Amino acid sequence: MRMAISGIGISGGFGCGVAALRQALQRGVVEPRQCSVERNGATDTFPAYRTSIEGLDEFIPKRALRRIDHFSKMTLHSACLALQDAGLSGGDLSRLGVIIATGYGALKTTFDFLDSYLDFGYSCSSPTHFSNSVHNAAAAHVSMHFKTTAPSLTVTQFEMSVPSALLTAQLWLAEGRVDQVLFGTIDEYCAVLRYCRRQFFATGEQGPLQPFTFAEQSAVVGEGAAFFVLSRGEEDARYGAIDAVTLGNHAVVPLTLPHDDLLIIGADGHAECGRWYAQALTDRAVAAYAPLYGSFPAAAGFDLAVAALSQQDGLLYASPATAGAADSALQVVAARRPLGKANIACLKFGPGGDYGLIRLSR
Amino acid sequence: MSVKEKLKRVLIEDLNLEDVEPDEIDDDMALFGEGLGLDSLDAVELVVIVQKHFGVEIKDMEEGRPALQTINTLAKYIEQRLAG
Repeated sequence: MRMAISGIGISGGFGCGVAALRQALQRGVVEPRQCSVERNGATDTFPAYRTSIEGLDEFIPKRALRRIDHFSKMTLHSACLALQDAGLSGGDLSRLGVIIATGYGALKTTFDFLDSYLDFGYSCSSPTHFSNSVHNAAAAHVSMHFKTTAPSLTVTQFEMSVPSALLTAQLWLAEGRVDQVLFGTIDEYCAVLRYCRRQFFATGEQGPLQPFTFAEQSAVVGEGAAFFVLSRGEEDARYGAIDAVTLGNHAVVPLTLPHDDLLIIGADGHAECGRWYAQALTDRAVAAYAPLYGSFPAAAGFDLAVAALSQQDGLLYASPATAGAADSALQVVAARRPLGKANIACLKFGPGGDYGLIRLSR
Repeated sequence: MSVKEKLKRVLIEDLNLEDVEPDEIDDDMALFGEGLGLDSLDAVELVVIVQKHFGVEIKDMEEGRPALQTINTLAKYIEQRLAG
């Protein structure tokens, strides 16, 4: 069943809103912020794509936000932007389902809660930290704020969270359980994540992010939230529609790619995932936009936003970085090109050969 | 730093009271309801804050309720417990 995309709300290292994403695609460059973490008397400095949530208090009073963590604030902000973009702000949203896809969940709050437990014991663990650390907290904040009484769900399947959650959205719409789905993808940065990534990848995360140097680690950590308003109605398809969502494992059953689709690949500088793109893709027109928002599991939702925006604009934007493309047989989209009659598919590989394929059309 | 000053600072920081400065919290201002606007979940956080930052445990809510009224009552409770 096709899912029409009628609104997008997004915030990432490039800024907030669809216009900021379009501007980043047009410019082709977003510089990551230099961040630092103090640990054991040493300073670790590294690039990261961080997200600002300035403007959230235009939708929700500051006082109502004081118990809400950064993860849920990012969620609420992009959810508000998506509903505004779809023209649904202020209406009856009781039959709006809420689905959030995240690879890591509310990382910072979870670690803050664990720290409070380890440092001060059971009796001094913050109840607010605890309540925000549970995975469905952000979706619950969204449901409560918009007074939606339809189902609210958070799906976590690491790199495959986005396609996996989209399948649920499709099911809810097909069953008529909801009239629309507010579908969000989100991950956040935190210092513990940086510590872990440094242990795993050493200096491999200093950038620049080169999505097509498949064999090398060049990821730059990112964070952000991308939300979509999905429905059954073709008349709502301002950004086109999602035709099909497929999950599989290339090592078990090799991926069969749709013949003519232009591919947006989720290659984000992770060598472990990159090798699967190198294996599965030959002689195809592909683009990758991770250098505009960084590396995190929910970035598959950002690829989806780029695809939706491309459908609205009738063109595929140039890949921001093309280094390494010459080593493969791929035809990397180096300059913007009209879509013509071509459709777009977003392909994301996980480290073990798991893949998610999302096909879109106008 | 006095107990009252420290209390005001940790309240603002741990309860995330944006747009509130320590000198805006009057020593006799009600912490809950019309005063500072705290609620029942904040009361639980307050018990945690007092134990974490001052090492004083509020075990009994019958005893804690009168202490959790204002900065003055809470500071007095903490000082009494610390003294003896």
